[in-house]
Amino acid sequence: MKPPPFDYVVADSVEAAVALLGQSAGEAKIIAGGQSLVPMLNFRLLRPALLVDINAIAALSFVEDAGHEIRIGALTRHRQLETSPVIATHLPVIAEAMGHVAHLAIRNRGTIGGSLSHADPAAELPMLALLLDARLEIASGGGRRDVAAGDFFRGALSVALDDGELLTEIRIPKLPAATGWGFAEVARRHGDFALAAIATTLTVADGTAVDARIAMTGVADRPLRATVAERLLLGQAVTADLLERVAAVARESVTPGSDVHASADYRRHLVGVLVRRAMDEAWRRAQRGAA
Amino acid sequence: MTDAAHLRPKMIGASVPRTEDARLLTGRGAFVDDRKLPDALHVAFVRSIHPHARIRAIDATRALAAPGVAAVYTAADLEDVVPPIRATSRMSGYYATPILPLALGKVRYVGEPVVAILAESRYLAEDALELVEIDYEALPMAIDPETAARPDAPLLHEAAGTNILLTREFKRGDAEGDIAMAPVRVKGRFRMRRRTPAAIEVRACAADYDAGRDALTLYAATQIPGILRDALAQIFDLPGHRLRVVAPDVGGGFGGKASLYPEEILTCLAARQLGRAVKWTGDRVEDLTATSQAFDEIIDAELAVDSQGRVLGLTADAIGDVGAYSIYPWTAALEPVQVVSFLPGPYRVPSYRGRVRAVATPKAPTGPYRGVGRPVSTFVIERLMDMAAREIGIDPLEIRRRNLVADDEFPYKVASGLVWDKSGFHACLEQACAAIGYDALRARQAEARAAGRWFGIGIASYAELTGIGSRISAAPGMPINTGTETASIRIDSTGAVTAAFGVAAHGQGLETTLAQVVAEHLGARLADIRIVQGDSDAVGGGTGTYASRSTVLAGGAAIRAADGLREKVLQVASHLLEAAPRDLVAADGRVTVVGTDRSVTFREVARAVYAEMGRLPPEAREELAVTRNYDPILGTTSCATHIAALEIDPQTYIVRIERYVVAEDCGRIINPLIVDGQVHGGVAQGIGAALYEEVIHDENGQILTGSFVDYVVPAAGDIPPIEVVHVESMSPTTLGGFRGMGEGGTIGAPAAIANAVADALAPLGVDVFELPVTPARLFRLIANAQARS
Repeated sequence: MKPPPFDYVVADSVEAAVALLGQSAGEAKIIAGGQSLVPMLNFRLLRPALLVDINAIAALSFVEDAGHEIRIGALTRHRQLETSPVIATHLPVIAEAMGHVAHLAIRNRGTIGGSLSHADPAAELPMLALLLDARLEIASGGGRRDVAAGDFFRGALSVALDDGELLTEIRIPKLPAATGWGFAEVARRHGDFALAAIATTLTVADGTAVDARIAMTGVADRPLRATVAERLLLGQAVTADLLERVAAVARESVTPGSDVHASADYRRHLVGVLVRRAMDEAWRRAQRGAA
Repeated sequence: MTDAAHLRPKMIGASVPRTEDARLLTGRGAFVDDRKLPDALHVAFVRSIHPHARIRAIDATRALAAPGVAAVYTAADLEDVVPPIRATSRMSGYYATPILPLALGKVRYVGEPVVAILAESRYLAEDALELVEIDYEALPMAIDPETAARPDAPLLHEAAGTNILLTREFKRGDAEGDIAMAPVRVKGRFRMRRRTPAAIEVRACAADYDAGRDALTLYAATQIPGILRDALAQIFDLPGHRLRVVAPDVGGGFGGKASLYPEEILTCLAARQLGRAVKWTGDRVEDLTATSQAFDEIIDAELAVDSQGRVLGLTADAIGDVGAYSIYPWTAALEPVQVVSFLPGPYRVPSYRGRVRAVATPKAPTGPYRGVGRPVSTFVIERLMDMAAREIGIDPLEIRRRNLVADDEFPYKVASGLVWDKSGFHACLEQACAAIGYDALRARQAEARAAGRWFGIGIASYAELTGIGSRISAAPGMPINTGTETASIRIDSTGAVTAAFGVAAHGQGLETTLAQVVAEHLGARLADIRIVQGDSDAVGGGTGTYASRSTVLAGGAAIRAADGLREKVLQVASHLLEAAPRDLVAADGRVTVVGTDRSVTFREVARAVYAEMGRLPPEAREELAVTRNYDPILGTTSCATHIAALEIDPQTYIVRIERYVVAEDCGRIINPLIVDGQVHGGVAQGIGAALYEEVIHDENGQILTGSFVDYVVPAAGDIPPIEVVHVESMSPTTLGGFRGMGEGGTIGAPAAIANAVADALAPLGVDVFELPVTPARLFRLIANAQARS
């Protein structure tokens, strides 16, 4: 478990990093926290000719309240998200979910940009980006572009980043008033990748749902929104019966895989259980917020 | 003991903090990989990617030409150099597979070493691995042990003529007849899945070659430096004083470091041939694929009881999936045979018939694992006891009260031939119940059930044989003696005490507990004692640490040697103090004339013997050293009752253990802190076996659990607080009254948790026959039960 040889360069700016990426014709990889990349190098699953280390680019590490949205630098560590007052105030579902991301030592190193770019199909952050309609800002030698989270995740470990591109920033719109949220996960052990996890938001006006979002991870090759189930909630007051129907629709919407940890049937069952729990939480919080 | 023995501070029984922890917890321990050997070559192995294949050709020319590569070995290079070694035994019909450092002709499991590459660094060696070309011809194979046991199954070892490496049977009375006549019968097909030890330190070894003496020192992360020394001396035809095996600090073993491995043979061979130090530090993939694995049995068992729940008869047919080789020195008998020999448990079982077949399959060999056989036998008999109790409508506690061997029945001969000496079977059961508040817990369960919650309570009682002496062997006629231990204690010219043993601690705290025994019996200060162990040069012959033996055997040897040395010290002191030895007492590093303030220190005694000319008559100046052996002949019984209370989420099927109590009898306790720690660690591993850990192969023989992402061990947060009650009944059969206790936690926990899960799910009609009972398995069990109803 030793990596094949590679060159290593520390980039001190985004410009330097993307210049190096651009010159390497797809043979370079960015290293930030290294929590997924280094094991993959050691297993020789990846053989980059060059590692571009972006840990020295201080400008990529921030959490900022920008009025209508929260801006998060790609180099922001999981632990910063977990403990940020800005996140706790405006995006508490992220703060809650971060407690389920691996273990403290890993959260001290791992970054949001790394997690989103790596796109493990059972990771929490890609699901949250999808849930919260995040926009991802991407830099390259040719300039900058941004892409919606829904267009970013293309499959297992596959995202809409070209060879010369670097994810630099994540922008997440603040949630409307009277929005509740929920998060529910089942993993073999605390900190493991999810067998299934669900994150929800629910915005309520006059006692009924005006916006509902359900995002799922661990049940497909990429995070998914349960859009049909979401629509069932609109204009409704949430009842146990409605939650049951929403959960059933979400459950039927997924075709998860089987592996050594869980069968497809068990994962699908979990989707139903966790959607019910996470949406029930969101409904309770929304009502408290609306009151 | 002298008349004033009661004046001495009691070291045996004191909660002394572990002396080794200061270095281990501050990063100052020295493990094999910490040993920097200048100019060492590093080994990486090309390992088989096939479970069963013929090796048609190996082309390593490109690898040999790769940067930094010094040598490449294949089996062809070793044919006249390294003779195969076999784990021999007198068992009838047993086939001892030949063990070689590199696969010859065929590979028999995924992960088997095929080619060794030696390079200036492990990085360069791994780069060169990719350049080796092996032409394999895949062979048919039976990955499933029942298929492999069939007469028409493809053979793993053609010379054996069968995949069944051995068969054994234990029989008392007419169990089938008794069962047929019995009013109540319960039975099941039980399955304990394969697991791996997963010690935090992976296996590693480093061979240092002294060309001047043609001598080798092998530093190895091993539990058995003595066994390795003797085996390697045989393989290389070297005298023991030119082959030393040192186990430095070792980060856990659990049985996985208690066998001879191909990597150790290869490393020694290469160091000698190349005249350079050679180092191999395994990685986690190698550990999870090529360290000895464990359990993996299928047991069809039936228990009959009378209408009062008293056992009438028991039968069991077991298949042990022992993997590809019969591991050295224990043989493939070790694990599966103990399943059937221990199956009657701590109970009165009038008639018994237990049969076992050990079946070779294309998987890593199984070997010793904490608890050996007994986690599985306890799982089966304890499940059957609960099933019988439910069948006749009595509490699981009550059926155990009615069947545990009673205090006045010891020594009790078990149906399989083992003998239980007097120990606290009933005391452990009752004290565990008292500690957990059994009746109140049952009342809480009734409330929880009424509220639709799945709350379960599980009891497991077991007995095991520990500190086994020379009369009992894991496999009759195996090539080593596990039943004797040596203590060699010396006071040097500065008054310091060095006590050397053949044991090899790898987390047990033997440097502390053995020092406590020596301190008490010699009358020395704990701080003046150094324990030397984990080194084949420490004593003339030794094996190591395994099988809950070290406290009983090394503790007994320490008592004998320390008592003998104390007499020598008193003889010298009697000259210095001009008093008769019987009027002297040794304590706290000082010899005192009883009833006076006249005394000499051990240092003064030592100076008189070694350094002061003419102070003593010549005949009183013998070296202050005594060496004694100890052999407990049969060994002694250890026992415990575990009780688990847990709750299962009725939607996600996640199991949460709420309470866990162990009441254990390990005889006279040397250090309660260390006993607690051993119980905690053992229970954690048992929880792993019950709920988490499973080595999984697919139908093509590929191992799917090659990393800690897929091989799931419980983490600290998954282990509940564990309450330990000590039932301290002196062993009647061992010197010092000690009983072994390193494995017990792992023996009781799988059964207790299985019973608690089954108890929680009893209203659904779900029973537990397979471990680990993962959430995905629970989902299937519950779905099947719901489909039935």
